[in-house]
Amino acid sequence: MATLDLTEIVKSFGSTQVLHGISLAIESGQFVSLLGPSGCGKTTLLRIIAGLEGVTRGSVHIDGRDVTGLPPESRDIAMMFQSYALLPHMSVRENIRFPLRMRRRGTRAEQDDRVQAALETVQLGHLADRMPRQLSGGQQQRVALARAIVSDPKILLLDEPLSNLDARLREDMQVELIELHRRLGLTTVFVTHDQEEALSLSDVVVLMNSGRIEQVGDPQTIYASPHTGFASEFLGSANLVPVKVIEGASGPQAQLPNGETIAVAVGTKPHGETHLVLRQEDLKLFPAKPGMSGDFLATVETRVFLGARIRYVLRMGDLRLKCLAPASDDFSAGERVTVRLPEGGAQVIST
Amino acid sequence: MRDRIEDIALAGPGILLLALAFVLPLVEMLRLSIVGADGGVTAEHFVRFLSDPYYLGVVWRTIYLSLLITIICAAVGFPLAYVMARVSPQMRLWLIVLIILPLMTSVVVRTFGWMVVLGRGGLIPFSLWKLGFVGRNFTLMHTEAAIVIGMVQVLLPFTALSILGVVMKIDRRLEEAARTMGASFLATLRSVVLPLAMPGILAGSLLAFTLSVSSFVTPSLLGGVRLPVVASSIYDAATKTLEWNFAAAQSVILLIGVLLALTPYIRLSGRRHG
Repeated sequence: MATLDLTEIVKSFGSTQVLHGISLAIESGQFVSLLGPSGCGKTTLLRIIAGLEGVTRGSVHIDGRDVTGLPPESRDIAMMFQSYALLPHMSVRENIRFPLRMRRRGTRAEQDDRVQAALETVQLGHLADRMPRQLSGGQQQRVALARAIVSDPKILLLDEPLSNLDARLREDMQVELIELHRRLGLTTVFVTHDQEEALSLSDVVVLMNSGRIEQVGDPQTIYASPHTGFASEFLGSANLVPVKVIEGASGPQAQLPNGETIAVAVGTKPHGETHLVLRQEDLKLFPAKPGMSGDFLATVETRVFLGARIRYVLRMGDLRLKCLAPASDDFSAGERVTVRLPEGGAQVIST
Repeated sequence: MRDRIEDIALAGPGILLLALAFVLPLVEMLRLSIVGADGGVTAEHFVRFLSDPYYLGVVWRTIYLSLLITIICAAVGFPLAYVMARVSPQMRLWLIVLIILPLMTSVVVRTFGWMVVLGRGGLIPFSLWKLGFVGRNFTLMHTEAAIVIGMVQVLLPFTALSILGVVMKIDRRLEEAARTMGASFLATLRSVVLPLAMPGILAGSLLAFTLSVSSFVTPSLLGGVRLPVVASSIYDAATKTLEWNFAAAQSVILLIGVLLALTPYIRLSGRRHG
């Protein structure tokens, strides 16, 4: 368990700058997700923490010690790769023993005990003598996890470890990761492009975009109040509607492009270019019944059945809105519907 | 799906060429090796070769020089291949060209080059003498060292390129993973890259060994008549003393030796795949 401090990290590959001064302080025992679209620099940042890439400027401190110039083997970290990177010429047991052997931790007998304990943690005791290629993807993933935790590292780094698993296995592993983190309390940095995964697993979500940190916060906060247009679109795949904020009789109101207005959260100031954030799952659909306040008429353009939910693309004049509705609200393409916006005032952000 | 007749038609020219240029001479060589002076079947040529200490000395020299050459080729070729596999594609191309370039010139020309470099007053002996490492101007020609130097230069490209093919296929992330698990660069090379490159090292070594036990030009030009190897002994029997049957018997022995060297490798790679 240890703290991790990144200070003003800049990274360039040739003339391309991929990280523009990243600063981040991670407390001991926290589970932190680096979330962002591909190419945002999150994997590069993880590799810099691991020591697999050098920095152009800036510094990395683990537990207060400056490790910026140290090679990966001197950093006391463990990393789990997207491809698991199990050593193909070693059995499961030898793979898990490898970090102990390389770090000369304990006697042979002590190493055996720790390997056995790690195997039992991931429930793979019965496969200890198999070779990696004889295992399924999920089993390989558990071996990689056991290998990462066996040496009791200061920082655990996870590079999209769940992205190669099928949906059901991924959900199981998410639960196991949460439980494992609660039990071991390892400071963990987790890279993902999946916003649901980041929100469900982490204590802190670090949202990244084009080599910069967009927003840092706990999952609830970052989901409920995104600071930027990118954050709101990426986190909830929300609809961003350009609006003008005006002072209405009963408080601030947002004026839609078609002239209609809706009430927004109290305290919203009219300034600059503003967008209304409408999260897909916050829009409620009813059969068309004009005349109710706060409701808008729209036409269903596309309907995508997802099982428990249905995704609609709605058209309101020039506006297109994405909407995620429960499967019970079933409308067919071309049908007219009434859209009810969230109560308590929608959020407005300036971009 | 192709027809069987089409398969045969496609493979036909190659098979015909192999039969005429390889199988026929091989059968003829086997026949000659067991024909005696009176035309009857005999084992006298084999007995003569295997009971004469002179020829046994020739065999021993051939084997240990080939082993030495093979070991040096593998020991130099592995780090070279590793570096080639890990540099940028452009740099790799240049290194490959650099390694293949000597193969473009004939072995005879290259060997004469070594004679100039290694002989009395040549670059290496002369420099060593002038720098005061040795007391007099000497020659490296007609020594086993000269044979080893010349042969390593000829065979290194084969070894390095066979190892390169295998190292290129090793996932770089395995090395990165080993580094994050506490292995230093050298420990990673030893415990991850070396074991995974072993099939290439074995294939390359085998190539170097079989080529060097049967090589003729370089050992006879750099080693001279006082240091004969099996290939030059065959050449002498066939062209100087005109004992064709004896030359054939020596060739059969060489062939069996090479096949014996191949067997463990085929077993080993068979196990790897199975």
